[in-house]
Amino acid sequence: MHIDPLEKKWAQISLGICALFVGIIMLDALFHSVNAPSNVETINSATLHLSEEFAEDNLGVEVDDDGNIIVRMVAGRYSFFPKKITVPADTKITFRWVSIDVVHGVHIPMTNMSTMIIPGFVAEVESSFPKPGDYPVLCNEYCGLGHDHMWSKIDVLEKDKWRALQTSSKGVAK
Amino acid sequence: MTELSEEERKKILESAPVGTWALMIMVGASMVVGWLFLYYGVFLPRGMLN
Repeated sequence: MHIDPLEKKWAQISLGICALFVGIIMLDALFHSVNAPSNVETINSATLHLSEEFAEDNLGVEVDDDGNIIVRMVAGRYSFFPKKITVPADTKITFRWVSIDVVHGVHIPMTNMSTMIIPGFVAEVESSFPKPGDYPVLCNEYCGLGHDHMWSKIDVLEKDKWRALQTSSKGVAK
Repeated sequence: MTELSEEERKKILESAPVGTWALMIMVGASMVVGWLFLYYGVFLPRGMLN
């Protein structure tokens, strides 16, 4: 088969560029210990509402005794629950996601959040929000006819404002 | 448009395709630069998923 020399060179350059990109990714993964998300933690998706951790009252934002912020969210056709949460900006947040029905995905633009939520497993991801504002939470794994409408919202506040809100809501709760 | 003589036509066909090379290098380089910017400037600063 005859291939024009110029075309051959262009094909070599294209392959070289692909090899460069793959090489950079592999070396970075090797030297920075980057792995695929691997939190193998199982849960019974059929009885989430009866589980202690993902019962309705325990969903949303929780600050533990050490000050770590943990967000528990449930994905189900066709929404993420709770529909809206409020978290501080520029702070490490641990998200724990579970699904009540089928495989879902979660994507939060402008952050590292992009993972699958597989029924029977807890997807745990650490993330942070660079600046205050409204961030959409979108399903990025086709889950049924209402997939395009599956979203919720995260309201990100300045750290001080968030702390003040937490303190005042605790006061109201008491 | 002026007609090329056979000699001029042959000269063009046999000379190195400088314009094509320039275009290839520009496209290739801008793709590499764009990719490096997205990888090191956008993707990695957002943090790893482990």
